[in-house]
Amino acid sequence: MKIERFDLIVVGAGPSGLSAAIEAAKHGMKVVVFDENARPGGQLFKQIHKFFGSKEHKAKIRGFHIGEQLLKEADDAGVKVELNATVAGLYQDREVVVRMGDEVHHFKGDAIIIATGAAENMVLFDGWTLPGVMGAGAAQTLMNLYGVKPGERILMLGSGNVGLVVSYQLLQAGCQVVALVDAAPKIGGYGVHAAKVARTGVPFYLSHTIKKAEGTDHVTGVTIAEVDNHFQFIPGTDKHFDVDTICVAVGLSPMSQLLKMAGCKMEDNPKRGGQVPIIGEYGETSVPGIFSAGDVSGIEEASSAMIEGRMSGAVAAEYLGYITKEEKEEILAKLKASLGSLREGMFAPKNRGKDIKETEEGIPISTNLLHKGYVLDSEIERFPGVTHKKGVHPVIECTQNIPCNPCQDACTRHCIKIGSHITALPAVDETADCINCGMCVASCPGQAIFLVNEDAGDRKAEITLPYEFLPLPETGMKGTALGRDGQPLCDAEVTRVRSSKAFDGTNLLTISVPAEFAMKARFFKAAAQA
Amino acid sequence: MNELSNRSRDIGEFIPQPDDDMIVCRCEEVTKGEIRKAVHEGLWTIAEIRRYLRCGMGLCQGQTCAKLVKGIVARELKVSPALLEPATSRSPMRPVEMHVFAKETEDTDL
Ligand SMILES: Cc1cc2nc3c(=O)[nH]c(=O)nc-3n(C[C@H](O)[C@H](O)[C@H](O)COP(=O)(O)OP(=O)(O)OC[C@H]3O[C@@H](n4cnc5c(N)ncnc54)[C@H](O)[C@@H]3O)c2cc1C
Ligand code: SF4
Ligand code: SF4
Repeated sequence: MKIERFDLIVVGAGPSGLSAAIEAAKHGMKVVVFDENARPGGQLFKQIHKFFGSKEHKAKIRGFHIGEQLLKEADDAGVKVELNATVAGLYQDREVVVRMGDEVHHFKGDAIIIATGAAENMVLFDGWTLPGVMGAGAAQTLMNLYGVKPGERILMLGSGNVGLVVSYQLLQAGCQVVALVDAAPKIGGYGVHAAKVARTGVPFYLSHTIKKAEGTDHVTGVTIAEVDNHFQFIPGTDKHFDVDTICVAVGLSPMSQLLKMAGCKMEDNPKRGGQVPIIGEYGETSVPGIFSAGDVSGIEEASSAMIEGRMSGAVAAEYLGYITKEEKEEILAKLKASLGSLREGMFAPKNRGKDIKETEEGIPISTNLLHKGYVLDSEIERFPGVTHKKGVHPVIECTQNIPCNPCQDACTRHCIKIGSHITALPAVDETADCINCGMCVASCPGQAIFLVNEDAGDRKAEITLPYEFLPLPETGMKGTALGRDGQPLCDAEVTRVRSSKAFDGTNLLTISVPAEFAMKARFFKAAAQA
Repeated sequence: MNELSNRSRDIGEFIPQPDDDMIVCRCEEVTKGEIRKAVHEGLWTIAEIRRYLRCGMGLCQGQTCAKLVKGIVARELKVSPALLEPATSRSPMRPVEMHVFAKETEDTDL
């Protein structure tokens, strides 16, 4: 039996695995990464949206571009990436069994980093095995990797970031999302993600879940009903929708089996998503030389997965003597600060399950945002991103403490202030002059920034909004302006359309509406073609 | 000693439920009723249930149903799912055809 040796074997070529490999290879280690997919990048290759965070976390870059960047870095650092390579076994003496094509290969790593990510959860309801019921991730793979529409009329179950982001992407693919449903009483994901779905007209049903998927050989409809505090159906609250697809986004579970197989001590930790290895601060498992990083050791974000990957890579490098303890400490200190900044705010792991009623600034959170997906007209004025002034000025409808700050970096005129604490709410500085460049609108991953001219003459207001749908409206096109709730408000005309390489795929649509709708109109729907 | 180690603990009768014929493990076509019944027949651990009913031993290796089965068993035993030890992880983690493994014997320097 032939066994090939590496300094470090990484399992999983997602953001954490690639980052770990890059860090280790930079210090001179011989590194191989195995991934069972045909494409590297893990979850990143399906993510066509712009990411949150700050510059050091690759914020405002679209997920798949982050994947490409990592892959190039790995290549430059001399990392060997083996695709279509399924790791079938990991043993205590760090032997790895890999299936490649029609053969089984054996490898030995002086250090091993497991970065296998997570798998989607399912829920049980009558008819859940019917074709047409699928994980949100599966729907994403179909549309974003294979260019196939998962269905025409879709109901999404789950209001976490995955449910919200995939709903938006389904809309972009031209599907109709008839409802976004969650058994929880509050939307689980970021308010800005919810708001960009709600303003297109998708209704949210919180405290509701699926009772039954209908159909004989595929889904033809679905019945949802309201649930009480104990998640029991409330009689008489049934609602029916004709749909051909039901997407389920009810969380992820770490794929930690390899770690368990290798004898690492495990625990069941609901805060981290299920069965996870018991690890030290930098991913050290109970078995010397075996480390873990990313979603496999606790469901989080790609941004944190990349940092965790680098940390475990540095620790592995010191473990094998490629760097000194001092060098390692220096690398870790920097990464720790960066990770810390991501783990702040109301969605931080430490705040999971907490009922947060106020922002860090002491502003009451919009309850409508949590229940319906949009901030009410009567609530929006209390946030620091919403100000009034003559001429074009930014209106920032970002109302929760999330780790994100590209808007501040985007504005060279210093109109937008977040400060050094990246979870603080963005505030508009009324004394700075906006030059209507649009960079803030395009750089906001939450699509929460609008440029408003409340008095554009002729009793009209002009609103510039981010637009990522096809076909792209043209100047002069007439249609309807929708409110934050996605309901029609008034007639609107497109007065300007801006696209530019610097906007990275986000188009800026300027619409003209009657002046009284300046602070209400937030989406444009073209009139149906005659 | 916890609620799981005392096998003489009374967990009550098996009471049929309307959704007992719902499939939980798609790969091996195991229903909710079969799993609930197995618990009342004395199979209290995930490993036992798995050997008895084969749920989680099919193509996807429990990727979809493991958490669901755990929830059902825990509810029947009236314990928290976290208390139940998940099934042992064994190689191969993903199904591998026998002919692929069989190739290994062709190696001369074995
Ligand atoms: C819809 C959606 C939207 C998201 N949006 C954001 C966002 O805006 N910002 C953000 O920061 N994060 C976001 N995330 C989260 C982010 O994608 C994940 O947290 C991140 O990808 C985790 O990285 P990872 O490297 O741990 O795992 P993954 O990216 O899941 O990669 C794991 C890799 O391991 C491979 N693998 C697993 N088992 C084996 C095996 N046995 N053998 C070989 N290979 C194996 C898999 O094929 C996969 O490629 C989003 C996730 C989803 C689903
Ligand atoms: S449009 Fe330009 S100048 Fe105005 S706030 Fe945005 S980034 Fe600043
Ligand atoms: S407004 Fe700023 S902080 Fe809020 S989502 Fe947009 S870029 Fe991030």
